[in-house]
This record gives sequence, structure tokens and C-alpha cells, in this order.
Amino acid sequence: MGRKKIGILVSVLIVGGALGYLALGNFGENLVYFFTPTEVKAFSSDYYQKKVRVGGMVVKDSVHALTEKTGLTFELTDGESTIPVAFEGIPPDLFKEGQGAVVEGYWTHGHQFQSHMIMAKHSEDYMPMELKRAGVELPKKDFMKSLQQ
Amino acid sequence: MNKTMINRVIRKIQRYKGWFGGAAALCMMAGLYVGLLASPPDYYQGEVARIMYVHVPLAHTSLLAYTVLFGGSIWYLWKRDPLVDNMCHAAAGLTALFTLLALLTGMIWGKPTWNAWWTWDARLTSFIVLLLITIGYLMLRTFIDDPEREARYAAVLAIVGFVDLPIVHFSVEWWRTLHQPQSISMRGVSISSGLLIPLMLMSVGMSLLFSYMLMVRTQMLYLVNLLDAKKGRLLSQFHLSKAES
Amino acid sequence: MTAFYLRWGVVLVIAMIIVGMTVRDYEQHLASVSPAQILDDPPHGDVRVQGLVKAGTLQGNLEEGFATFALGGDQATLSVEYKGLPPENLRELKLLIVVGQWDPASQVFRARELALLTHYGFVVSAYLVGLLPLLLVLFFMGRKVSLLFEEIKQSKLYQSE
Repeated sequence: MGRKKIGILVSVLIVGGALGYLALGNFGENLVYFFTPTEVKAFSSDYYQKKVRVGGMVVKDSVHALTEKTGLTFELTDGESTIPVAFEGIPPDLFKEGQGAVVEGYWTHGHQFQSHMIMAKHSEDYMPMELKRAGVELPKKDFMKSLQQ
Repeated sequence: MNKTMINRVIRKIQRYKGWFGGAAALCMMAGLYVGLLASPPDYYQGEVARIMYVHVPLAHTSLLAYTVLFGGSIWYLWKRDPLVDNMCHAAAGLTALFTLLALLTGMIWGKPTWNAWWTWDARLTSFIVLLLITIGYLMLRTFIDDPEREARYAAVLAIVGFVDLPIVHFSVEWWRTLHQPQSISMRGVSISSGLLIPLMLMSVGMSLLFSYMLMVRTQMLYLVNLLDAKKGRLLSQFHLSKAES
Repeated sequence: MTAFYLRWGVVLVIAMIIVGMTVRDYEQHLASVSPAQILDDPPHGDVRVQGLVKAGTLQGNLEEGFATFALGGDQATLSVEYKGLPPENLRELKLLIVVGQWDPASQVFRARELALLTHYGFVVSAYLVGLLPLLLVLFFMGRKVSLLFEEIKQSKLYQSE
């Protein structure tokens, strides 16, 4: 009988704990999945050199591959502010100018974001290349708005 | 042989379930063919976007399955029909299965596109919470001996857990996530017809497959219960006759 | 029970046919080779080569659909000359597939199309991981239900009521 009671308690705790985690831990205002470039620029010095994620759109014509080592530099924008990013490594396949990216790394005293990890944030539209070339635009969420949520 | 001892609904299911299974098979075969062979690759993701045709139907069917569990739980608390409880139990098992598969296919899609198998953004977190809720529900049922109490407690738990569903759905609209927003929403449809057709075929097929699996699983749970109950009675009659002789 | 296994057999056969067609389609249209394979064994006709666009080598006018770059593999590097539609997916440090012909005289790969990596392994595993467990669970549930019905039919549970 005792073991059964413990079992019931554990089951209820799993459900309650999972829901509680959603309500308090993850989605409280104190924790966001990524910062925007505007927020990064406003960082107090406590945040410098601290591992964070930043999300934004890769600025057109800002990507430059490094030749001395494997890596690249580019700019990330949320429409309001733009920050420079230095990345070491091979960027993911879908990393592209004019598309979303979430970079992991830290904001330095030299006001540059240093990263070893890029995640591509793709949009929700899907179509064949022929349509894209023909200039078709499907309805989708304004990317900059999705950064401000 | 007196088959009428079996519940009328279970016998109806036995008669008509084949239509659902057949329709599911047809839709999914067509969806697989179009999705893998007769549809263009995506302009941005290329061939790997074809994972959408299996991942998205699995994910939405998970939500459908939990919605059935939620509706069934309310229905059970209202009518106290053990067959409805069998259906809830079946829907919970299927929710766990579909949720797990949606998570796994999502991980396989995430690596080549996002460059991450997993990340703790709002969509992924709320979705794994759905899996945990269902596992908790199924665990709870194993620890209660009295069937009526088991059904009642489980129904309450399922109703409480339903709050996660709107969170899963709207997470990509409410919070900053790595996961992209909904492709089909109030904004319109963001998928061109060539890629939408296989997605719809697989989605409809997966929903039909779920309804078919729900019927089969409900039958299974009901028949196991029935046999247990009847065997129990037979056993006691057997003991009774022994005692009398 | 025979009807049950027969239905599953039909499903299995159709699934195998679709898988077979997909594999053949991949081998005919999408499979690619590495730069080293091109140099070792110069092919005739169209080929697809997969490699990494090397940093600092991309030149040309992308808007007019012209570019030259070096495509690196594990062991060898090819010089590629691309002429075609303005490429959507060309940048340095990107893995991609070039479609075209190898010109042994000038040692240049003349590409007319650039394609994204197929990631076919990911696609195939997603379909297997997503669908096989469903079929397995359904098969065993369906079998159990058939057996339960048989058990109820054959047992004398309901005769002596």
C-alpha cells in the first residue's frame, strides 16, 4: 500500500512539476531564450564575458569569410540596432544573409560579439526555387516582430 | 457463444474500423509518394524540408490525441461510462507515442537546419512537457487498484494537464523561439501548393491513422478488462462449485 | 487471422515499393561525389560534386549569374566556374553541391547549377523513426485484438450465463 501511494505521488509530481516549470522557470519574464541586439547594446558590464544567446537577422552584404583561420564576421540586426559578430568555425548550411540566426557566445568589452556556435532560425514559408526566383512572397510573420516578443 | 456480452460500441468499431485504417493507408501512401518523389525541394532548406511531411503531422496528431483525452476525461466524469475511460486510457498511450515520435523527428530535422539537435526554447520545452504529462498520467493509472478510482483520478489529471496545449500551440507566437512560427495561421498559408499537397495528405492520413489506432487500442483495453472480469467471476463460480461438492 | 496478416502484407509490399523508388530516384538524381573522386577518375557527362566553398576564393558577379570559386573536399580541391541563374545559396564556407561537367583540358569544373546538400540520411531516418514505430505498435495491437476476440469466441465464458 505504501509503495502504491508513493507511486501516485510521484506521478502527480511529474505532471505538477512539468507544469510548474513551464509557469515559473522557463517562461517567466526573468528568462528569455535569446536577447536582441538592442538589448545587448544596453548590457550593463555584469553581462560582459557572460555566455548568452543573441537572435537577429544577418545583415545583407555584411558576411566576410576569414582567410587566416576558419571563421567569419558579420552583423546581426533587430531593425533598430546592429551588432558585429566574430564567429569561429564553419557556419551551418542555412546561415544566410537576410535570414535569421541565433548566435551563442559573449559580448566583449570591445563591443563585439564572439561566438563559436551559430543556429539558423529559418522562416515558416516553404516553396520551390522556381517560385522564389519568380519573386513570389507568401504571407509570413514579420521577422523583426518575432524578435520583440 | 453469446457475443452480445460484448459492448455494442466495441462491436460497431469492429465492423467499421477497417474503413478508417484503409483510408489512412491510402492517404499516407499517396502522401509518401508525393512527399518523397513527386514534390519539389524547398528553396531555402532543399531536400531536407521533406522531413516536414512526417514531423508536422506527427506533432499535430499529438495535440489531437491529447484533445481527445481531455474531451474524453470530461465525458467520463460526467457519465462515468467505463468504455469512455478505456478510450481515454487508449488516447493517453497514443499521445505519448505520437509526442515522442514528433520530438524525435523534430530533432532529426533540427540538426541539418538549425544546427542543433535540441534547444530549450518555448516550443520544444512545452512540447516535452506534454510528453511528461502523458507519462505521469499513464504512471498514475498503474498505481491505483480500484478501477473506478483510477479512472476518476486519471481524468482529473488529464483535465489539469490540458493547460499545456494552448502553450504548445501559441509558444511560437508569444515568445522568442528558435522554432519558426506556425505556417498555417491567421496570417494565411505560408506553404506553396506543391509542398502543401503532400503535407495535407500526410496530415489527413495521420489523423485517420490515429483514429484507427484509437479504435483498436480502445477495443484492446476493453476486451482485456472484460476477460479479466469474466475470468474472475468464473473462477469464483468454480470455487463455489468446489465448495458445494 | 489469415486476413489480418494478408492486409499487413499488402501494406508492407506497397511501402517497400515506395522505398525502392525513392532509393533509385536518389541514386539517379541526387547522389554526389567528392572532388577527389573527380580528379582520380575524370567522369564524362553531368556529375554532382559536394564540397566546401573555400574562404577567400569566391569571385565574380552573382547578380549576373557568374562566379568562380574553389570547392574543397577532404583530400582535393577543384576550381569551379559557375554560369547560370543568379545563385540563391552561394557563399564562402558553405557546403554545397555543384552540378555540371569536368573539363580535363583546362582542369576546371564547369557548373551550371548549384544545389543544397540533400541530407538524405536525415530525411530517411526521420521517416523511419517517425513511421516504423507507429506501424509496429499498430501491428501488435491489432494482433492482440484479433486474438482477444478469438479467445472470447472459443472460451465458454458466455455460455453458462
